[in-house]
Amino acid sequence: MLLIDDLTVRYRTPGGEIEALSSISLKARKGSTLALVGESGSGKSTVALAAMGLLPQEATIPSGRILFDGQDIMIMNAEERRRLRGSRIGLIFQDPFSVLNPSLRIGDQVGEGLVHHRGFSTRRAFARAIELLDEVGIVKPEAVAKAYPHELSGGMRQRALIAGALASEPDLLILDEPTTALDVTIEAQILDLLEQLRRQRGLTMVFISHNLGVVRRIADEVAVLYAGQIVEQGRTEDVLQRPIHPYAKGLLAAIPRLGEKKGRLAAIPGRLPDLRNPPSGCRFAKRCPFATPDSDKPQILRELGDRQVRCTNAEALRDTPWPRLSEGEQSAAIAPSPHAGPVVAVENLTKTFALHSGLAFKGWRPVATSTQIRAVDDISIEVAAGEVLGLVGESGSGKTTLGRSILRLVEPDSGTIRIAGEMVSGKPQRALEAMRRTAQIVFQNPDSSLNPRKTIGELLARPIERFGLAPSGEIPARVRQLLDLVRLPAHYVDRYAHQMSGGEKQRIGIARALATEPRFIVCDEPVSALDVSVQAAIVNLLADLRDRLGVGYLFISHDISVVAHLADRVAVMHNGKMVEIGPADEVMNAPKHPYTIKLLSVVPRVDGPAYQANHK
Amino acid sequence: MPVSIPKSGSVAMSVDQTTDAPVIERPPRRPMSLQLKMGLVITGSIVLLGLLAPWISPHPWDTISMRTRFVPPNATYWFGTDEYGRDVLSRLLMGTRLSLTMGVSATLVSLAVGVPMGLAAGYFRGWIDEALMRLADVLMAVPPIMLGLLVLAVTPPALWKTALAVGFVYIPPIARLARSVTLTLANEEFIQAAKARAESNSYILFREILPNAWPPLIVEASLRVTYAILLGSALSFLGLGAQPPSSDWGLMISEARSFIDRAPWIALAPGFAMCLLVIGINLLGDGARERLDPRLKSRMGKR
Repeated sequence: MLLIDDLTVRYRTPGGEIEALSSISLKARKGSTLALVGESGSGKSTVALAAMGLLPQEATIPSGRILFDGQDIMIMNAEERRRLRGSRIGLIFQDPFSVLNPSLRIGDQVGEGLVHHRGFSTRRAFARAIELLDEVGIVKPEAVAKAYPHELSGGMRQRALIAGALASEPDLLILDEPTTALDVTIEAQILDLLEQLRRQRGLTMVFISHNLGVVRRIADEVAVLYAGQIVEQGRTEDVLQRPIHPYAKGLLAAIPRLGEKKGRLAAIPGRLPDLRNPPSGCRFAKRCPFATPDSDKPQILRELGDRQVRCTNAEALRDTPWPRLSEGEQSAAIAPSPHAGPVVAVENLTKTFALHSGLAFKGWRPVATSTQIRAVDDISIEVAAGEVLGLVGESGSGKTTLGRSILRLVEPDSGTIRIAGEMVSGKPQRALEAMRRTAQIVFQNPDSSLNPRKTIGELLARPIERFGLAPSGEIPARVRQLLDLVRLPAHYVDRYAHQMSGGEKQRIGIARALATEPRFIVCDEPVSALDVSVQAAIVNLLADLRDRLGVGYLFISHDISVVAHLADRVAVMHNGKMVEIGPADEVMNAPKHPYTIKLLSVVPRVDGPAYQANHK
Repeated sequence: MPVSIPKSGSVAMSVDQTTDAPVIERPPRRPMSLQLKMGLVITGSIVLLGLLAPWISPHPWDTISMRTRFVPPNATYWFGTDEYGRDVLSRLLMGTRLSLTMGVSATLVSLAVGVPMGLAAGYFRGWIDEALMRLADVLMAVPPIMLGLLVLAVTPPALWKTALAVGFVYIPPIARLARSVTLTLANEEFIQAAKARAESNSYILFREILPNAWPPLIVEASLRVTYAILLGSALSFLGLGAQPPSSDWGLMISEARSFIDRAPWIALAPGFAMCLLVIGINLLGDGARERLDPRLKSRMGKR
């Protein structure tokens, strides 16, 4: 259906030309799903844009062909491509929140393509839109068609987008991270829907994702991309269960798995090669534990059984697993000392937000409404020294509000908070000096959490200076210690945040929190914005620091597998309420609350029993 | 790459992420745009001429000479002479000093008042925001020239007063810009981080937010300089700025007005100078805007 042959794409950038894709060849057979996986910078979205003929102006295509159903897209003119997009190829983007036009009704947007490409009248298009919305499983499609995007939830919007992509009766659907912005329960529904549509309509799908668990659910074949090259391609189960290429092995090893005994995660060291002049040999060689002198020679994608691997040593590596870490030191972990009281004790914490949601209609009369949202509803938790309390929940469940309320960054309505024995609730902000030193926070977004106009040295020195933790002469030495603690070299002190990778920035965020020598840290989704291999390194770092410094964490994440890996105890939040709390193993293996059970059942996994569709 | 850990010190770390990190991938500096270059050249040379005026003026700027009245431009008097026989070029160069000083100091006044106002309004929100911004609205509701006239009419005119009045007039746009920049910055997580270590409000405003707010403010301020020069010249034209015999561009035009039919060069010279400066500063400001905001650009591209 879609055949990409020897495609190379380069982007002109101010810093020089970047080779985003290097001789990519792919084939999506009719009625099958091909998944492209890889971390950021691997070139997966470029493939999608190229296939749609939507590459930006800076892109050049020195070589390659893209055949759609036998027709070469590359030799078409803009008008022919436009017609092809309007009729036979559908595209679905990552973020359902920004793709829909906020000032048009859903039904009009879904039917838009029909008016433009099929010459439908507006009314007929709207009627057809309702049918399509019905097909993608929207309850009350008539009402939804008349609604505006802001009135729908993320999952509904993604369904509407799928409906819009289906309107032109496409044969090929290209999905670029379609579920990344959604919660796991919604994600599961969307994946079910896609699977069902594929069967009913015989769709061919190209599915782009960084999440291997999601890919496993939906794809027949998978191509693993690294630095613009396909490093391994084959049947999904084969590749995910028995990866051959070292990068694929590393990627899979880095994923925390539910129910696996705790240890350190495997991380992939290093970073992507500079694509301005990519290495002539294996692009992964620098980060590869199995690299041999042969790796410096150009690597070709070779057939190996029913899959293709780009590695000279593929045969030899077939059954070698990614190296596990030396686990020796872990036993030295300081167990949370039972007699020491909890570092943090929170009782009956409640925080309510009033949303002025605007106008509602009572019959004909518009009435102003304001909705009270209990973001944190009567929650009591304790965290001991050296303990990790994991906090899981979907977006909007109140996790972040809880974390920030404990630190008084958000003012709670009622409830008591004790940190290190000090009563923190009810005090004015001015009197919180001691608490601000004892309790710190690590944020989700490394781009936003570091002041871009300050050097790393200044960022790390400030907390020390602020609390007078060292005489000014010793501050540089302290900063170096902190960098060492998060395993960054000392010369980073002169860098600015934008000169570092996402993982390194997050390390600085952690170092900054540690600078005040806190006893408790709220980690608010610290790894959600990171790639899998980097995520593993950060999780390991947090675990090491807990063992070494005896810091207690409140580890907030929407990703249950990460929480299960790191946490000693797990709390599950749903709509502001804590529905379950208990030792991590217990919650993961024998969840009691229905919501926890549901949450666990929909987590996309790379191992364990394959996912069964329609088990809602 | 399993790393065997020396038992001595550091914690068991699986993999050292940073072994091959020292490659700094700072992109090479982008070449300057033509706009920015031209702006720099034009503005730079005008500023330079103004600074060097006393030394490069071909004739004394204030010596009256009845024999050389209304001489049209020639080899001796490049831009001709005025009604008192003074060299127009020399007067123009001296006027450049006055006009630039006026424009720059007026802009500094509006920055000094407008930036703290905007920062406070955007960061504290609530009633502080309301009060400050409504104040700015009131200021904006008065036509700029009226406000200047009001200040100057009740006191004897002087150049520093003109600068102050003009600076006052341009507070609201600066304050509004500072506020809107602050609004976005206040939501960044590094502000939360600063709160989490109990930083004072003034630290957060001036040490965390302000450095990030500078690029758009500098661009805006550079464009404001041209407005200030224009408004200052207008006030001088009305006799409320520089006092004869010293002369800024506005006053020169005003004085030359009566002779515009006989000796148009007297008015044209400062007029052209003003045009050139305004164009130069505008090019500079636009060029700088593009260059200083790459972060903004790349962010918008990502989403």
